[in-house]
Amino acid sequence: MEILSHDILIIGGGLAGLRAAIEAQKAGRDVAILSKVHPLRSHSVAAQGGINAAFDNVPAPVNDSWENHSFDTIKGSDYLADQDVVEIMCREGLERVIEMERWGTLFSRTEDGKIAQRPFGGAGFPRTCYAADRTGHNLLHVLYEQVTGLRIPVYEEWHALSLVVAEGRCIGILAFPLFEERTVPIQAEATILATGGYGRIYLRSTNAIINTGRGCYLAYQAGLPLEDMEFVQFHPTSLFGTNILITEGARGEGGYLVNVKGERYMERYAPHLMELGPRDIVARATQREIDEGGGFEGQYVHLDLRHLGREKILDRLPGIRQIAMDFAGIDPILNPIPIQPAQHYSMGGIPTNVDGETPLPGLYAAGECACVSVHGANRLGGNSLLETLVFGARAGRKAASNVNPVRNSRGMISNGVKGEKGDFNPLAFQNQSAAFQSGLHDLSSRKEGEPCFRLRDELKALMTDQVGIFRRESDLLSAKEKIRELKERFGRIGIKQKRLAFNNEWIQYLELEGMLHVAEVITEGALARKESRGSHFRTDYPERDDEHWLRHTFAYKTPAGARLEYKEVKITTYPPKERTY
Amino acid sequence: METSALILKIKRYNPEKDPPRWTETFNVDTKKGMNLLEALLQIQDEQDPTLFFRYSCRGAVCGSCGMKVNGKLALACRTPVEGLLEETTLIEPLPFFPVIRDLIVDMSPLFEHFRKIEPYLHGKPVMPEREHIMTEEERKAVDPYIQCILCGICFGVCPAFNREALFFGPAILAKAFRFLLDPRDRRDKEILESVNHHQGVWGCNTVFQCVKVCPKEVPPTHAIVKMRRNILKYRLVSFFSRFSSLCRSSSK
Repeated sequence: MEILSHDILIIGGGLAGLRAAIEAQKAGRDVAILSKVHPLRSHSVAAQGGINAAFDNVPAPVNDSWENHSFDTIKGSDYLADQDVVEIMCREGLERVIEMERWGTLFSRTEDGKIAQRPFGGAGFPRTCYAADRTGHNLLHVLYEQVTGLRIPVYEEWHALSLVVAEGRCIGILAFPLFEERTVPIQAEATILATGGYGRIYLRSTNAIINTGRGCYLAYQAGLPLEDMEFVQFHPTSLFGTNILITEGARGEGGYLVNVKGERYMERYAPHLMELGPRDIVARATQREIDEGGGFEGQYVHLDLRHLGREKILDRLPGIRQIAMDFAGIDPILNPIPIQPAQHYSMGGIPTNVDGETPLPGLYAAGECACVSVHGANRLGGNSLLETLVFGARAGRKAASNVNPVRNSRGMISNGVKGEKGDFNPLAFQNQSAAFQSGLHDLSSRKEGEPCFRLRDELKALMTDQVGIFRRESDLLSAKEKIRELKERFGRIGIKQKRLAFNNEWIQYLELEGMLHVAEVITEGALARKESRGSHFRTDYPERDDEHWLRHTFAYKTPAGARLEYKEVKITTYPPKERTY
Repeated sequence: METSALILKIKRYNPEKDPPRWTETFNVDTKKGMNLLEALLQIQDEQDPTLFFRYSCRGAVCGSCGMKVNGKLALACRTPVEGLLEETTLIEPLPFFPVIRDLIVDMSPLFEHFRKIEPYLHGKPVMPEREHIMTEEERKAVDPYIQCILCGICFGVCPAFNREALFFGPAILAKAFRFLLDPRDRRDKEILESVNHHQGVWGCNTVFQCVKVCPKEVPPTHAIVKMRRNILKYRLVSFFSRFSSLCRSSSK
């Protein structure tokens, strides 16, 4: 049996994955990245507005500090974030952003040549460092350049089929090169999941088409819990029609949200911060306006940038202008942009400690697929890019220091060699490989059954309708029921193609499997949580309830669905207070 | 919602079939505001799951879905179907690159060239714990060249490859220029030397095809012309310095 072997294998080539790879490689380990798309096609590339770090580069009445950043993040999280990890992110973030600048990120500049910073939602200071409105593109290309310079190997267009666990430890994965007729075991002392979010389980999402939450499912399937999955971020401003993201930076630069009556409706919802309220509040306000007749054609409101003027739009928001022109035929210099809320981000994920370690030895996670819990119930804009860098680097460093140098005595020389290393356990890999082969055989021998895409489309509509911005018990119960039914129908799916290579149907099938389970975890968590906190808003329980619900949800996979447990929130400096803006 | 039919004639390729190349026609019901990528995804779902093409962001930032649409190169996600409804639309893979399957091509030639120019900032030393100081003017000079998404569309239209198959390609030379322009990069002569040959800046036909098609408005030809000028300036300077040192040594 052919086997590949690395000290550290990273699944996912977005910002968190690449940053982890760089850190681990620099620590002298043999590292490889595996990604279902070329790293530059990862969803990180679509991030626009910026990355938070309290440099205090822009004159303000009071000085900014990482402590202020922590407070804003914790308040923004509706006090569900673990405060010790928020402090780490806000402190180490300064270093990580400077490092990105030194590696070549072309940040916009202040008059005195420092990294420019703009105001963002829920923040008391102009703290968001930006490269025009293409910050994610800039950061991802720069990290990929570094990875190229370090010659870190990338298994491009390979899927991770499953985690391989033996004797209570993750010992690698079973992988599958999309264009080849084989599955390949990859043995690794440390496996780091950096697979991003699951946005595509929603009909309306700003996420790339590839964001199906597969990484979360790999962990869940291997017996790990998923944490705080009911906290799903809806972004207030996605382009009406395609739901492509229109950055919060557009409001940071001074854009207005306007309803059909021409009112800046945020006045009624966040009178102090107005359009720069945190995302949960602005998204709810916007949806409420639309639901209550304040929308245009009953479906969208306007993001008006015209008063910013041509020069500012071209200078600070050129990407937004291009998107509006390409995908809505509208030039924001001349016309307001039609926008509506859409799913945007997952606050929840695979639970990790501050070093990216999951409860399963040998397995790490970082970035959106992880939940170290810096975002709690609602993430502030500009904090996700920061999280990828800070905790990507930490996971890479910890994984490198945990690799047993004796077991991996060949070190760098062993880079991708065929053969076995240390206490290799071939049986665990062989069993999984056989299971996938026979699974595919069974699938392709079923003559009847529905195509995957029907189930997928039903799931997406269901999630947007019943597990969306406004939630209530009757909807959530019906969603739970419907997901059960979809899972049953999923069990009867048949596919036409029998071979592994170039098998779209099979890949879709595997992705849908994960999507159904992730959707179930979100729904069950939302149903159980009888309060409203951050992004999770229950119309039947509209108040926050710290006495019963100031705690993290942990969902475990059982044959009957998700089993929920709860864990205390770590509070260090800021006791929970009422959240007003 | 009103629908009208889109007819796509797609060039297919599967080396295991006989014949390996064929053209297949699909009818797609369109919706208002639909783009070509959505049409292809609909075909893959509802008509033919064996149809292959790449996709990811669907917002013209990831560079996955470059292809040939009625003879012109474009990102599928950025191509509204509205303009394609009158007649049959021919869809072909991105030219230049070897085809792997249907509309999926092997982009490795592009990334091989990418690696040749050492495409990462060779930073000058700066004070610890702070950024390089850089003006907005300096940033704006570099900015057009970092918009590149490495989609390969410029490789598909570049006529220079006909003469020199190992030509670095427009996107790669734009990338080299990005580091040359960047005040934070300590390289200068090294970058110019790495492109000072017929696989580099001297291979370009300067016909601006790449500038015309780039979906992100990157101007590679401008970069190439400027690097040529810089090289010539260097040559002149080094000629004069050699000449004057020759004069000095002969007068001794």
